[in-house]
Amino acid sequence: MARPKRYDNIDGTGGMFMGLMILGFALLGYLQTILPEDSFWSTNGFASLLFMYLVIFPVLALGYWGSKAIKKHLTWPRTGYVAYGAGGTEAQVKRNRWATMGALAVLSAVMAAGLVGLVVLARRHHAVSAVSAASVARVGYLAFWVPLYAFWVWRMGGENRWKWVGLLFLALGLLVIGLLGPDDVIALVRPVMLFVGLVWFGSGAITLCLYIRHTQPPAPEAE
Amino acid sequence: MNEQLRAISELDRVIHEPGRLMIVALLGAVKECDFLYLLHETEMNKGNLSSHLARLEEAGYVGIEKTYRGKVPMTLLRLTRAGRAAFDQYRQGLKAAF
Repeated sequence: MARPKRYDNIDGTGGMFMGLMILGFALLGYLQTILPEDSFWSTNGFASLLFMYLVIFPVLALGYWGSKAIKKHLTWPRTGYVAYGAGGTEAQVKRNRWATMGALAVLSAVMAAGLVGLVVLARRHHAVSAVSAASVARVGYLAFWVPLYAFWVWRMGGENRWKWVGLLFLALGLLVIGLLGPDDVIALVRPVMLFVGLVWFGSGAITLCLYIRHTQPPAPEAE
Repeated sequence: MNEQLRAISELDRVIHEPGRLMIVALLGAVKECDFLYLLHETEMNKGNLSSHLARLEEAGYVGIEKTYRGKVPMTLLRLTRAGRAAFDQYRQGLKAAF
């Protein structure tokens, strides 16, 4: 039954957490661009890794504890507490675990095959210039976000039909960024992540507002 | 008796009642939840929900724990091992019947 799983995002915390995580990576990208090239944080491998953790961890912590606080003070008193974990029968838990691992393996294999194919194509065929290979990578990168967000909407918020409009907005926004954004794929990552993060976070925030508007905590003698 | 009809006749009557089936289906997908969650999801009234839970507890399918969240009383509910097994068997029975 999918409904109890969807309940986890009834208040939009799941969407806001995802958005915040993507915004964290966008922030990291922008911070790296303003660091001087000869900076200790850029030249030293360990320091650049540490720099990444110093930016990402606080963002993740904010998302994690923020979600917890919203659940504790808003969601649970209004529509009830749910703990997930070993839900379902043992067979279901095992099946879900294998399905997740299988899906991740297939996704990784497809992405790796795509990248390797792109490199091989660019090397073997002189007709395929570096520019067209970069264009393929660019379109592939932009297109990657649309099914990902669509899957999220379908899995976690399918009952809120307005979220499909968010998907359309995301697709159109990515198209505009693709047309007007920088040619370099690496430089394109930052505005794309900023935009996707904002859409994802915004969708979660709207869900939270609607949830607060449409639900009220029961009277104290409810139980 | 036909195998399919036998499967129908052997369905667990405690779970088969629609109100209790909703409760068991919801509890089957989570680790635990509180009374308020079931009230919100099933849209039953408190009396109905309580009586169904009492029946499920009596059958040993649901564990009920009275606790507090801060100063607010909270009733935690979870399917017992027997409850999960019974629900699994119920679903297999339905599959066999149809």
